[in-house]
Amino acid sequence: MTTRWVKMLRDAQVARGRLTLVVAALTVSLVAVVTMLSTWTVLRREVPRSYIGSNPASAQLAISGNLTPAVLDSVRRVPNVAAAELASTLSARIDVGNGEWLPLLLFVVPSFDSLRINTLHPDSGTWPAPVGTLAIERSAMELTHSSLGRAVNIELAGVGRCSITIAASVHDPGVAPAWQEQVVYGYVTSATLSALGVTEPLDVLKLVVRDGVTDPAAIERTSRSVAGVLIAAGQRVYQIRIPPPQQHPHQRQMNAIVVMLLAFSMLVLLLGAVLTGGVVSAWLAQQAREIAIMKAIGAVSTQISALYLVLVCALGGVATLLGVPIGLLLGRQFIGLVATLLNLRLESVAVPLWIYLVALALGVGAPVLAAALPIVRASRRTVRAALDDSAGRSAASAVNGLVRTVTRWRLSDPALTLAVRNTFRRRARLAMTAALLAGAGAMFIASLDLRAAWERNVATARQDRFFQLEVRLRGDASQQRVVAAIAAVPGVRTVESWGTQHAARVGSDELEIQQSYPDGGHGSFTFRAAPPQTTLIAHRMAEGRWLTDRDTNAVVINSMARALSFHDLALGDSVALRVNGRPVVVRVVGVMREPLTQATLLVTPALMALATGTPDSTNAVRVQLASGGDVTRATRDLTAALARIDVEVRSVQTEARIASAQGGHVYILVFALGFIALVMAIVGMIGLASSLGVSVFERTREFGVMRAVGCSTRMIVRTVVAEGVLIALVSILAAVVASRVLSLTVGRVLASIAAQELTLTISPSGVAVWATGLLVGTVLVSSIPALRAARLTVRDALSHV
Amino acid sequence: MRHGSMHDPLVRLRDVSKSYGTDARRFVALDAISLDIATGECVAVVGKSGSGKTTLINLLTGIDTPTSGTIDIGAHAIHRLSQEGLAAWRGRNVGIVFQFFQLLPTLTIAENVMLPMDFCEVYPRRERRARALALLERLEIAEQADKIPADLSGGQQQRAAIARALATDPPLIVADEPTGNLDSVTSDVVLSFLAALAQDGKTVITVSHERELDRYFTRTISLRDGVVIEDTGAALTALI
Repeated sequence: MTTRWVKMLRDAQVARGRLTLVVAALTVSLVAVVTMLSTWTVLRREVPRSYIGSNPASAQLAISGNLTPAVLDSVRRVPNVAAAELASTLSARIDVGNGEWLPLLLFVVPSFDSLRINTLHPDSGTWPAPVGTLAIERSAMELTHSSLGRAVNIELAGVGRCSITIAASVHDPGVAPAWQEQVVYGYVTSATLSALGVTEPLDVLKLVVRDGVTDPAAIERTSRSVAGVLIAAGQRVYQIRIPPPQQHPHQRQMNAIVVMLLAFSMLVLLLGAVLTGGVVSAWLAQQAREIAIMKAIGAVSTQISALYLVLVCALGGVATLLGVPIGLLLGRQFIGLVATLLNLRLESVAVPLWIYLVALALGVGAPVLAAALPIVRASRRTVRAALDDSAGRSAASAVNGLVRTVTRWRLSDPALTLAVRNTFRRRARLAMTAALLAGAGAMFIASLDLRAAWERNVATARQDRFFQLEVRLRGDASQQRVVAAIAAVPGVRTVESWGTQHAARVGSDELEIQQSYPDGGHGSFTFRAAPPQTTLIAHRMAEGRWLTDRDTNAVVINSMARALSFHDLALGDSVALRVNGRPVVVRVVGVMREPLTQATLLVTPALMALATGTPDSTNAVRVQLASGGDVTRATRDLTAALARIDVEVRSVQTEARIASAQGGHVYILVFALGFIALVMAIVGMIGLASSLGVSVFERTREFGVMRAVGCSTRMIVRTVVAEGVLIALVSILAAVVASRVLSLTVGRVLASIAAQELTLTISPSGVAVWATGLLVGTVLVSSIPALRAARLTVRDALSHV
Repeated sequence: MRHGSMHDPLVRLRDVSKSYGTDARRFVALDAISLDIATGECVAVVGKSGSGKTTLINLLTGIDTPTSGTIDIGAHAIHRLSQEGLAAWRGRNVGIVFQFFQLLPTLTIAENVMLPMDFCEVYPRRERRARALALLERLEIAEQADKIPADLSGGQQQRAAIARALATDPPLIVADEPTGNLDSVTSDVVLSFLAALAQDGKTVITVSHERELDRYFTRTISLRDGVVIEDTGAALTALI
């Protein structure tokens, strides 16, 4: 090793404290980047592998059923049809113990063996599940409170309660996790259903198109051709459901999270790089004299630049070596979490080679880019300028107008006076430190703002519901009788009829086209009768007005419906729908804020009766219990009360279950934003420690002078701490302003991707936590080196270079 | 390495001026100085503080550039060189000895001496340490070779700094108040060594404010307010 590199190594060893901080900051930044990059890469590969691997239906046609094999064959011969299979979906209930019943969505197929569309992966148990048994989606097993081989009670329309054994658990990549939706997904064959006494025909035709699998227009064209064949064969086609092609039901949510996290992690890396640039810049200032000497004895600028650039490369390299494995490890954990949240089955979590290359390029490139300018500038300085600076001769010339102004301020505390003047003496340093801390603070506060906004959405959704139970009936029943029966149940305070129907926008040929998934929940919208004088929801209007008794064709759409299916409509516009198979034209009178709630159209009971042709009937009620009412007991009592009037309950959804489902949907966001906030806090604190540590170290000589003229240790420490606190306060103010811009920008993008409304306000707790942490950190970080410097003898301090 | 005969002018300054500041507040540090310094001369530049000594030294070493005039050292018109050119030229042609030694604190004494050879890429890498030790031996501090500067006395550090100045075997040695931080005994040793260098054919230019040290120098140039007020070698210059 040549002498110049020996020098660089030894200098690095002397500055190991601050260089370690640089490596730590870069490592944390890279951990964040690699975590997010590996998550993004693996999910981009595994989501299609898991979801598309199940050969999801391009479209599902709701038909009248009893399709003959000949007609099915003719459907398969329609141009661009790659596969066609019959299926059906039944809504049932499952007893999950303690008197609680959960909705059971039963997917019925002719045979598990011949399943080619929306295929299932066996998870455990006996597969294919024998006739007379049930398979349960793996994510629903916990909800059932049961296990493989055990019998569970289910309730089926027209059959009532029966017992069936769970033979297998399967993975269905096409459904969201059951715990997130609070719905149990079950799978049976037609033979099993017949054995249970259900004679309903398979009334869904699933299609996979050959060309244009990702093109909704191509899928729609093929579906319409198939519909034509079916209609010609005497079938009725009620609806065509085309889910977003090749997209997992939670793809939007995942994209939003991963893109946001990637963006934040890049900002963290930027922060780490800026921190590196700052530390190197301060180090170069301290080494100005040595650089001048090296140039005086023959070193040229490129030789000096190379020394420092290679050092920065080495720091980036070490950070990459540390950060990549940790990032990959965390990435695996995060991928696992996302997989659980999206109900994905991962074939492999291996990352491609380019991730390592990108990590190396970012880990080394980012700090080199940030440090390049100060390094080149320092190495190009003339010997004279560098010597003058190191001798302090330029200090006088550096006294600028701002400092002159500041020196006019007369503060009562001498420590504070010195602190204020010192803070403004090195403007570039002040700007760099404050900007670094403000950047970290802004991202910390913004991530907590966003997290709070999502949590507020969950809380708002909960606050806006004043009912504890939503009872869905099997079929229509007399509204008057149902309400009267439930109202008579002890503990019930209020009952309102909230009839619900499936609805779809219709095209010019009157065929319903809906963008929904096989579970019927994701992507679809419902048509609900809402009492205009309801006391069970807080109808907060974003636009227009709420329903009145005088309305004849008015509809209020909620925020999700607006975002997903009616973004083309304005208040006063009319829209053609098909409700329960009947055409109806409604006029939009209002848009209601209803966070985290499925797309819903709310109409008066009168319009619902008109649309469905069944006046004074209902199929759903909402129930408010008296305070302290027992939900489980009320559920049992009202189910019994309805049974006494021969009304069958399809499901009872408790408010807690609804809240749990809504919370489940935003959990990953809340988790991810918390992770970002933590990373920001770490990088910010490292930045603070580094900047103040360097600042104090540089001024050791100055402290010697202060001590020589009689300044006490206490005064020196107070001056340094006051200076740090001053910088921290400036950065906190900047952070609050910048966080607002950041959270509004990111929030707007997130809200748009997730089709949710996000109300972003500055999170006081975020500001408070950041400000407190920063101020405490400032006092600690500045007082320790200040104490050390102040304890040096005057001679030692003055000889400090 | 020999650079011309004893009376060849190694350093040639013509109408060299150096001023600082703006037109409104201009300070003239050197005012139209012309000098010739021959190879092998041992020159003392003396004068009070502010007389222009350091400015003259800075111009001779290429640390600063003249406002006007020409400076030729050997075959190089250094007033025309860029900063990069000056750095490269300096490494091979001038050895600088600073008042405060300016040894790099994290390198040993031997490594400090080896550093110019490394930057200028002179002498094969394997021979550099041997050359450094030989120079330190000549300056009688070879036993301190592997110590860091902080472990040495001021006199030892200055001798190490002289060894470093000789590392690339430059024809010109420039010392800026080399005894300013030394006691009288050590000052004598340092100045004697510089004088010996001149006798060996090096051209030595030393800034000093101590006139009583004249015995070490073959020529004394006195400066006041940026002009030469006395030059004991003027006759020689005229002769050349």
